[in-house]
Amino acid sequence: MPEAVAVPRRRFGFEWVWLLPIVAALVGGWFAIRAVLQDGPTITISFKTAEGLEPGRTRIKYKDVDVGVVKNVTLGKDRTGVVVTAEMSKAAEDLLVTDTRFWIVRARISAGAVTGLTTLLSGSYIGMDPGKSTDDQREFVGLETPPVITTGLTGKQFVLRAEDIGSLDVGSPVYYRRLEAGRVVAWELDKAGTAVFVRIFVNAPYDQYVTTDTRFWHASGVDVALDANGLRINTQSVASVVVGGLAFQAPDDAAPHPPADENILFALFNDRAQAMRRPITIRERYALVFDESVRGLGIGAPVDFRGITVGEVRSIAPHFDRVKRQLGLVVEIDFYPENLFTERARAGELTTEKGPTLARLVGHGLRAQLRSANLLTGQVYVALDFVPGARKVSMDVARQPPEIPTVPGTTQELQTTVASIAKKLDSVPYKEIGMDLRRTLQLSSETLERINREITPQARETMTEARKAMEEARRAIEEARKSLASVERTMTAAEPLPAEAGDALREIGRAAAAFRVLADYLERHPEALIRGKTGDAK
Amino acid sequence: MTQRALTASDAGLLACLTCGLLSRRPRRSAAACPRCGRALHRRKPYALVRSWTFLVAAMVLYVPANLLPVMETESLFGSQSDTILSGVVYLWKTGSWPLAVIVFVASIMVPLLKMLAMLAILIAVHVGVRVHREDLSRLYRVLELIGRWSMLDVYVVAVLVTLVQMQLLATISPGAGAVAFGAVVVLTMLATISFDPRLIWDSGRVLGRPR
Amino acid sequence: MSSLLACPHCDLLQRNLEIARDAIARCARCDAALYRPYDENLDRPLAFTLAAAILFAVANAFPIVGLELRGVETSATLVGTARALFDENMALLASVVFFTTVIVPAVQLTAMLYVLLPLRLGYAPRYMPLALRALQAVRPWGMVEVFLLGLLVSLAKLAGMATVVPGTGLWAFGLLLLAIAAAVASFDARAAWSRLRLAR
Repeated sequence: MPEAVAVPRRRFGFEWVWLLPIVAALVGGWFAIRAVLQDGPTITISFKTAEGLEPGRTRIKYKDVDVGVVKNVTLGKDRTGVVVTAEMSKAAEDLLVTDTRFWIVRARISAGAVTGLTTLLSGSYIGMDPGKSTDDQREFVGLETPPVITTGLTGKQFVLRAEDIGSLDVGSPVYYRRLEAGRVVAWELDKAGTAVFVRIFVNAPYDQYVTTDTRFWHASGVDVALDANGLRINTQSVASVVVGGLAFQAPDDAAPHPPADENILFALFNDRAQAMRRPITIRERYALVFDESVRGLGIGAPVDFRGITVGEVRSIAPHFDRVKRQLGLVVEIDFYPENLFTERARAGELTTEKGPTLARLVGHGLRAQLRSANLLTGQVYVALDFVPGARKVSMDVARQPPEIPTVPGTTQELQTTVASIAKKLDSVPYKEIGMDLRRTLQLSSETLERINREITPQARETMTEARKAMEEARRAIEEARKSLASVERTMTAAEPLPAEAGDALREIGRAAAAFRVLADYLERHPEALIRGKTGDAK
Repeated sequence: MTQRALTASDAGLLACLTCGLLSRRPRRSAAACPRCGRALHRRKPYALVRSWTFLVAAMVLYVPANLLPVMETESLFGSQSDTILSGVVYLWKTGSWPLAVIVFVASIMVPLLKMLAMLAILIAVHVGVRVHREDLSRLYRVLELIGRWSMLDVYVVAVLVTLVQMQLLATISPGAGAVAFGAVVVLTMLATISFDPRLIWDSGRVLGRPR
Repeated sequence: MSSLLACPHCDLLQRNLEIARDAIARCARCDAALYRPYDENLDRPLAFTLAAAILFAVANAFPIVGLELRGVETSATLVGTARALFDENMALLASVVFFTTVIVPAVQLTAMLYVLLPLRLGYAPRYMPLALRALQAVRPWGMVEVFLLGLLVSLAKLAGMATVVPGTGLWAFGLLLLAIAAAVASFDARAAWSRLRLAR
């Protein structure tokens, strides 16, 4: 039997080994304490839906920095929404005040932008916008859509009064000189239902350009207008085509005005032209009597003085003049003296109290005339201009409305001239020339064959002459074409045709005549091609 | 020390596998260890049956474990299925050949060798070989040691699945092959554990009959 | 009887001799490792076990590793890994992972603490046989080190395509590994068993 081995009793000696758990405990404890200290507050946010939120994974971000993480998502007490419990980081503790806002950032398409596409890759997150309040809060109600403006954006808000909302919506862009300067924040219908109030936010630094004289207008979509000025296409940007927008600017020629205060009310016009129009305060009504056709003149057609729009056609009606026993057409126009006498208007000296403003001008020969605005559309406008050698007429100021004498329109002259050109062109014997040409070419080709076999100097000379004649004809036709082009231009400018047109046409006639002579001769003397014209000594 | 190789079984003693105590075997009743109370047996009960069952099951599952994908990767660039082997090939091709070797050894060679070794041992016991019993014993001990390492690929998949959860950027989900593979590892370990290595040295005596 | 023992691998009866330090007793027939020098010292295994327990808590409380790709961050804890598998409808796999990496080490540490602490204080705890039996039973199923290697392989796979962020848990995990290994190695079960009086 082996003996038991005596094992000395161990004193309680400190063994180095115990350092290990002590160190482990210290380190572990330190981590634990650090975690506890770093723990930020826990908050709850209620939303309508928790789509895209994952407990333990979805982050809360402020200015793209993680400030919290979603811990739990449960149904709300009344089962109508969800309650999201989130742990915030310590750093975000002082951002949690009463007006702090939360919203879920998902991929969305809304007015003005397609946002949040990165969330498709990385998962949704909750955005945060801290409020300015000083009261802490831990329970929040989340927004269903991201706010249009977040705290920290500088700028001003204004209110616009519009006839209709057009294609605007919350988030529609606001443009200044085609730069995106702000967004539509909200809109609401006027209590009486007669107008729409649109609240916009203009970012700094563009807000300083909103002065008391600034005009606002719808800049949505594509403006297409076809009128006396032609075809106009106008758009601010593709975004505005898609989602609508509005633009603002102060009239360029206006004196500088002070920047507008916040929340001032402006009017929202339908387009830029309307917005920039000098506000018309004085309107005068005049009557014009025409005894020619006013076809092409419509209500709203412009009244033009040497290129400046000074009025608008208001009504057109037939009128039987008992005295002259004639049926005429009375066109009533609205005349805006401010547009014509701008300097006096600016100085404030314009007044209608002394009688119609045009009375004196009529005495100096101002007449009204119908002019063609556009041959294509056939539109016609009223032109006011001084006619040289006009009979002295003074305006009868007693009549209401006062009458401006008229002169026949240029349209008539134009029609006559066009008709004569057409007649001239008609008289050119195209058919004969054509047939002659064909015969000539036939002969020429046979002759050319013969010439190919036996080239003689006379034949060459005749060929040269024929070529010259054809060259002349080509040149003449070319000139004719150019002249016709200028004729076209002329017709749109509504001025008397230049003399060149007639010249060109005569040239064509001459060239055609020359060719006909040549063709005739060749017909009678085909041998001339080879032998040359008899009488031409070689 | 006697020259005769005397086993506890020969001496009518039962060894407690838990506490190591040798105690006399009672004549006709079941025995329990006086020190730790554990039920005592001459040899592990049903060692061979259990071992065979686990081994065969492991072998059956080895096929789907390698054929079925262990991991599915979905990303913006499409989906990709990986079996254990394709994972090794990927590691090799992308230049991490040490890792490729590690995974290959741990996930393909080791289970295979384990099963073959266990097979050899079981057959040897049944046949009753008397030679190279030391080697067989050693083989068994090696199996005990390395058994667990075949689980490597399961943990690789588990970690990848946990970490790569980035919605559309990349998401990995485990495949059926992983379950099969995990089952193979567990079953081979069970086969090893339920086998009684003393049986190797029992050959020459009649098996199953108590002495 | 305690002077004899049977080799658990070949059943050969051998004498239970005291051996020198740094030596290891092997079976005369099959060369299996039988026992190491008798070590009554309970301080060392206890210290290691305590350290391991703390590290185990830390390793589970904090994420082991994080991944970052294009602003998206994910992280993994031990429990989280099992949970991720569970969420993917792989309950069986999840339980295996959970068992081998969380349950088994927990059982090991608990059992050792349960035995070592009272022993150090001078008495044998009531369910010591059960604890020691449990310890022995789960020993082959502890796979913390395999998990760590698997983790490293995964990180090596991912390092190329994303940013790997080691977490607090990673260091705790590595140290936990060492601590458990040290605790198990320095724990001499024979010394513990010898404290138990025979029931009969």
